Amino acid sequence: MNENRRQILEMLSAGKITADEAERLIAALEKEPSSAGSTPAGSKLAPKYLRVVVDADETAHGDTLTKVNIRVPLQLLRAGVRLAGLIPQDAREHVNAALREKGIAFDVSQLKPENLEELIEQLNDLTVDVDHAKGQVRVKVFCE
Amino acid sequence: MIPMLIVLRVCGPRRISLWLPLFLVWLLLLPVVLALLPFALVALLIVRMDPWRTFAAFWGVLAGTRGTHIEVSTPASSVFIHVY
Repeated sequence: MNENRRQILEMLSAGKITADEAERLIAALEKEPSSAGSTPAGSKLAPKYLRVVVDADETAHGDTLTKVNIRVPLQLLRAGVRLAGLIPQDAREHVNAALREKGIAFDVSQLKPENLEELIEQLNDLTVDVDHAKGQVRVKVFCE
Repeated sequence: MIPMLIVLRVCGPRRISLWLPLFLVWLLLLPVVLALLPFALVALLIVRMDPWRTFAAFWGVLAGTRGTHIEVSTPASSVFIHVY
């Protein structure tokens, strides 16, 4: 039990405060962030970067030969989405047609900042392991 | 805040290490940008784009590049780019 809460209950049992006062004090305690420095479960700092880490083991004995480490600020992605939102409608159609030609069925007009936020939220920790003939490639995409 | 410095290192058959002071580039580009600004404004109004939102978006992209880090290494060569 929390030390402050115990003190309030002791004061209540000793008759120093009334039940109403104890209730108010406990409610006030619950509103305050924990003074012990522990963060409540589930609260996380907002991610600032998108990281892509690739480790490729290309030898039979598992030595990592190729490494890729990319860190992209999420602010850049947000700005890019905002910029995409400014593309005029006829230009968007050209972009969509070009994407379709490449086999990507994607509508640029559907790209909205709130979609990006949702993606970032979901992209807490994504790891993709790719096996190929020469060895193993580990791709990790996450936000930090 | 826009990026002020880029560090570029390429290790391979030839070793290249560059520190590019972008703040000097911005200072050099500033008169050009100011001279072109009225033309850009007119062009944006012609294509019916909000100039303020457009400039803000470009500034956001420019400012967003700060903190970018790219590191690729292979047994033969490696590339390191960091935007400060």
